[in-house]
Amino acid sequence: MIDLVARRPRPQISWPAVLRFLLVERTALLVILLGGLIAFYASTAQDFFTFSNLAGSTAFGVEVGILALAELIVIVTGRGAIDLSVGSTVSLASVFFGELVTKFGLSLWPAIILTLLFGFGLGSINGFFVAVAGLPALIVTLATLFAFSSVALVITNTIPISDVPPRLYDLALYWHQIPRQTLLVYLPVIALIYVLLRFTVYGRHLYGLGTNALAARFAATPVVLARFGAFAISGFLCGVVAIVTSARFASARPDAGVGLELQAITIAVLGGVAITGGVGAVPPVVLATLLITLNNNGMNLSNIDQIWQQAALGGILIGSALLNAFALRRYRLS
Amino acid sequence: MATPNRTHALPGAFADLLPPRFGLREVLDAREASIVAVLVVMATALSIAYPQFRTLDNVNNILLAVAQVAIVGVGMTMVIITGGIDVSVGSALSVCAVVVGMRLQDGAGVLEAIVVAIAVGTAIGLVNGLLIGLGRVHSIIITFGMLNILRVVSFKLTGGKWLSGVPNTVNYFGSGTLLKLPFAWWIAMAMAAVAWYYMRRRPTGRHLYALGGNPETARLAGVGVLKRTIFVYTITGTLVGVASLVFVGGAGSVIQTAQVGIGFELDVIAAVVIGGTSILGGKGSVIGTLLGAILVGTIRNALVVVNVNSLYSNLILGCLILLTVALDLLRRRGRLA
Repeated sequence: MIDLVARRPRPQISWPAVLRFLLVERTALLVILLGGLIAFYASTAQDFFTFSNLAGSTAFGVEVGILALAELIVIVTGRGAIDLSVGSTVSLASVFFGELVTKFGLSLWPAIILTLLFGFGLGSINGFFVAVAGLPALIVTLATLFAFSSVALVITNTIPISDVPPRLYDLALYWHQIPRQTLLVYLPVIALIYVLLRFTVYGRHLYGLGTNALAARFAATPVVLARFGAFAISGFLCGVVAIVTSARFASARPDAGVGLELQAITIAVLGGVAITGGVGAVPPVVLATLLITLNNNGMNLSNIDQIWQQAALGGILIGSALLNAFALRRYRLS
Repeated sequence: MATPNRTHALPGAFADLLPPRFGLREVLDAREASIVAVLVVMATALSIAYPQFRTLDNVNNILLAVAQVAIVGVGMTMVIITGGIDVSVGSALSVCAVVVGMRLQDGAGVLEAIVVAIAVGTAIGLVNGLLIGLGRVHSIIITFGMLNILRVVSFKLTGGKWLSGVPNTVNYFGSGTLLKLPFAWWIAMAMAAVAWYYMRRRPTGRHLYALGGNPETARLAGVGVLKRTIFVYTITGTLVGVASLVFVGGAGSVIQTAQVGIGFELDVIAAVVIGGTSILGGKGSVIGTLLGAILVGTIRNALVVVNVNSLYSNLILGCLILLTVALDLLRRRGRLA
């Protein structure tokens, strides 16, 4: 029975190997999940599997998708770094933008640029407390989460600013059924962040920092500056989202970002970003964004009560965090 | 030979693990003293400027408003001392309150309400504890997920509607007074006393500090890390159940499902952090948390008395958290240097 004849070397496909591949290669797992999801909704929900629906639904993923990339940049720096304040930063930046174009009568482009800088500034506040003062990111961004949203509500007295210039709505129009904000904002942001994290010295510093901050310091990484920058970039991206969301709602709302932090963090964690730092990449995070967005779209088309989307998000967050922790322990990635 | 003094038998690094002594220096150094000082200054200034602030009614208003924060804060103190955090307490409170409210509508008695509240709260806490302990995932992620799931649960339990016509069976928890103080505040103090004894004098209570100081060292030193982790989240859930009785008792006949416990976690975490518990774990006390809760309540109350836009209160609370955490870290650094 025992086959002693020289065996042809075959690629070994065993269950443990498949499991390992799926757990280690988050992109592969997400592609399979995404395929399954699309197949499921295509067969159950009417009008789901059409080009106009699939392309159109990406409009709803732009905001959370960009914020998920912001979380990626922050979380990857490690030491429990997380940005809980992204939602409030979006709200406050939206209000700032709205005030600029209405009360101060600025024209569109200067207002946009100032809003981006304003977002950068808000992120810098987090960055200062976390990187320079050395406070835990969790508590700093929890405090600014409440502080920023409070300021946004006070400035507007909870009333949305709706007389923004109509030219802004152009951003929310379609090009061949593809939403413009996907083409003009989301794709360029993806490309920029990908290059930043993958091909620039600064990007590699962030990973080094997240893997081992002490080793990074001995390797002459400007630790404080790198960590500060991660939060500042996160704030800048919040400014971008503030513009996009103001265009989509045709008004600057003081509650524009409420709950976005949950979606952003969920997507980042689903995209394989390890909360312990040092692990994470742009492509799986983008796939995770697509997964969440299409799932929400599918649930809408299947007439499932919207409230379930919140439960699904919570469940996906916990599930994928457990998966990440398991994969990290089992295969000692980092 | 005299028995060696335990406090001095160990190198300084382990001093935090031992019950503290009560010398003058410790009292002056303790966070509790600075909170009391801030409270006294604030209360004096407000009482002089606004006579309505110093009435017994208003003091009881403050204590009543923060009783829920104080009760849950006792559990949150334990969680944060072990190096974790629980941001799901607001949603858990709404689930407990809704379940209790529905049972009361069906004619449940006081005893059943208490049992139901504690059972639901404990079950939620146990789920948190098991996921965090067994899954070994950072608590912020798990409890953040639970925050949202529980919010949906409480929404679905009532179909998104308000509960109305809730009988006043448990009102004593919310508005009753005992020896001129709110009954709810007596509950908070009793819980804090038990927790204080447990964390100061029981070996497993000391383990919580060891766990927060350095989990790996604690494990090697024989601390039941998994058991302690599950325990702190479960007990926090139980206390949320108790707090939900106070909430339902104070809410009157209508429970606005979607509003219950929104932002509650910030108040609780603020009370704990302001009370001197280090967010990094390993250091803190429930007495500080009680005082922190009173300070949070006093500030919120003062904003109403002084007639400041209530939208500002979260801004002020956020800044206060940042300030206290910054001071705490500065002090730590000063000691290390």
